[in-house]
Amino acid sequence: MQLRNMVRAFVQSDVDPQALQFNRQKFNRQLFRKCGELGLLGVTAQEQHGGSGMDAAAAVIVHEELAASDPAFCLSYLAHSMLFVNNLAQNGSEAQRARFLPAACSGDAVCGMGMSEPGSGTDVLGMSTTAVAAPGDSGSGSGSGGGGYVLNGSKMWITNGTVDGRDTGDAFLVYARTGRGPRDISTFIVERGMAGFSLGTKVEDKCGMRASMTAELVFEDVRVPRENLVGEEGGALLSMVKNLEIERLALGAISLGIARRCIDIMNKYSMERVAFGKPISSYGQVQRHIAESYAEYMAGRAYTYSIAANLDLTTHGCGLDTDAVKLYTATMGKNVADRAMQVLGGNGYVGDYQVERLWRDAKLMEIGGGTLEAHHKNIVRDLRRLQVLP
Amino acid sequence: MRVLVAVKRVVDYAVKVRVRPDKTAVELQNVKMSMNPFCENAMEEAVRLKEAKLATEIVAVSVGPKQAQETLRTALAMGADRGVHIVTDMRADQELQPLAVAKLLRTVVDEVKPDLVLMGKQAIDGDNCQTGPMLAGLLGWPQATFAAKLEVADSKKEVTVERETDTGTQKLQMGLPAVVTADLRLNAPRYATLPNIMKAKKKPIATRDAAAAGVDLAPRNKVTNVTDPPPRAAGAVVESVDDLVAKLKADGLV
Ligand SMILES: Cc1cc2nc3c(=O)[nH]c(=O)nc-3n(C[C@H](O)[C@H](O)[C@H](O)COP(=O)(O)OP(=O)(O)OC[C@H]3O[C@@H](n4cnc5c(N)ncnc54)[C@H](O)[C@@H]3O)c2cc1C
Repeated sequence: MQLRNMVRAFVQSDVDPQALQFNRQKFNRQLFRKCGELGLLGVTAQEQHGGSGMDAAAAVIVHEELAASDPAFCLSYLAHSMLFVNNLAQNGSEAQRARFLPAACSGDAVCGMGMSEPGSGTDVLGMSTTAVAAPGDSGSGSGSGGGGYVLNGSKMWITNGTVDGRDTGDAFLVYARTGRGPRDISTFIVERGMAGFSLGTKVEDKCGMRASMTAELVFEDVRVPRENLVGEEGGALLSMVKNLEIERLALGAISLGIARRCIDIMNKYSMERVAFGKPISSYGQVQRHIAESYAEYMAGRAYTYSIAANLDLTTHGCGLDTDAVKLYTATMGKNVADRAMQVLGGNGYVGDYQVERLWRDAKLMEIGGGTLEAHHKNIVRDLRRLQVLP
Repeated sequence: MRVLVAVKRVVDYAVKVRVRPDKTAVELQNVKMSMNPFCENAMEEAVRLKEAKLATEIVAVSVGPKQAQETLRTALAMGADRGVHIVTDMRADQELQPLAVAKLLRTVVDEVKPDLVLMGKQAIDGDNCQTGPMLAGLLGWPQATFAAKLEVADSKKEVTVERETDTGTQKLQMGLPAVVTADLRLNAPRYATLPNIMKAKKKPIATRDAAAAGVDLAPRNKVTNVTDPPPRAAGAVVESVDDLVAKLKADGLV
């Protein structure tokens, strides 16, 4: 409650005023730093590394509140705080946390995660970026990779891939193939400035989420030292699955924030706008838009928070429901934004009333972090195993 | 130096209050409640004193229902060291009145022995502006209300307060202990950071029953009827400044 109140007050004074402007421009670096000062960037990271030591429910609250104002900024926040910071906090070694988390939690570094590739998105295991053990510099005896790894390939659609449009972001967790088997995938920390690591295509002209920068990251013989291997070689799948759960809840929370804001806007507008001598809120068709939106938002909210309350960040086990939360909330958010636009008529279609921007942003949740179809596939796979619901 | 800060839980400043159907009060059910904005200024000032190493301990006190704990937690997250909660179910916007609160706060002052009491200049529910002055009166301490600037002397025996009045800024110097009430211009309250919100969960809050404080809590005046303000009449657009002046004169307003 206290967390929600604090974030909401911060969002009203600092995030809302810039949302429309940065929608036309780019990532707001200064606002990102302020989030660091408040402890939002390391919401789930350990306190000794500059984090705030909170749980999944807290992360969901922060996402819902930020997204109610600026979903695009929130997407960048998610890529940094969930996909990089939380991922490393849960899966990294103590030395890796100590090295990377303080700057990431304070906002000095802007980070992200690279899973998708130009040639593989939904089909994650189809990735082709490779990491080959470099010729050992000495007999470290620890098997392959003693001398580090050499990365080749590229990652596409990477949020925070660039911050200024010229260089890459500061550090990324990058998944790459370290063997012939389909599951031989490992996680590496790739840092800005490493030889052979560069910014590829910048993704311009996105439908929405415009204040969040998306780019391709290119790896050409990037030499990554062994201490940047996260977890065991070939052990990426487990950490990937773990982190996808909180990612999906956080993306669901963005849809919740969008929906709540749209409901506030259409509710207020419908009471003020008069047509045929009466406020439009007195017409049944408008009432249906508002009432259904509210009911669906509350259903999505109840589902999201009930799963968040039980999600243990240190392990996995909520796969089915985090897929289902995102499946439901993504489309809910999009539909609510669409209804809000309808209720606002012409004013809904232009920027000043926020709805136009939220409507464009809402669609992303049906694609990013797993398409709707990927959720369908996963849910049915899990239900097949379950057979009878508890 | 120990600072006692009084913080009140009130209807959030952004909420549009509604009168209850029975017209006895405004609706408090399902209404967002927050720390009174002026109390936030008082709290912020105390934290700054502590950061400047002038204050050594900050004690936050709140008089109110069970949920006033949340307000105290906010104060603890902003930087108070411990809290005192005086529990009462009397409505803090009309039933529990400034004199009763001042008397309750005096019992806390007797116990905590602060060198400085910081409070909001008023609470935005009752808008009475009385509790601070009444507390100073009961204690026989000097007071400065509507503080816009506060300076504690290095000796920690004296404070200088700039207070804003309708006719200008007044500068007061007074010995400690004293009661100072904060105006909005005193400072810009901080947001509690997440790590501090976490730490606040572990800070102690002592609770006391208001009815057991040995203080007369009976209201001195009674609210008989609460009504909405009259709706604002439609405005009119005038062509020029001259038209405006003429119209104001015609309506007898200037
Ligand atoms: C703004 C934005 C930010 C992003 N940020 C990141 C990031 O930070 N890091 C990152 O790694 N990725 C990121 N992504 C990538 C995102 O996760 C992928 O776009 C997503 O997983 C889908 O992959 P794809 O685009 O390759 O689509 P594809 O996988 O090619 O899918 C195309 C269509 O085919 C369908 N399809 C595919 N396989 C099946 C199947 N088996 N059954 C039924 N239908 C199927 C899909 O559902 C979809 O409708 C981002 C994307 C966007 C747009």
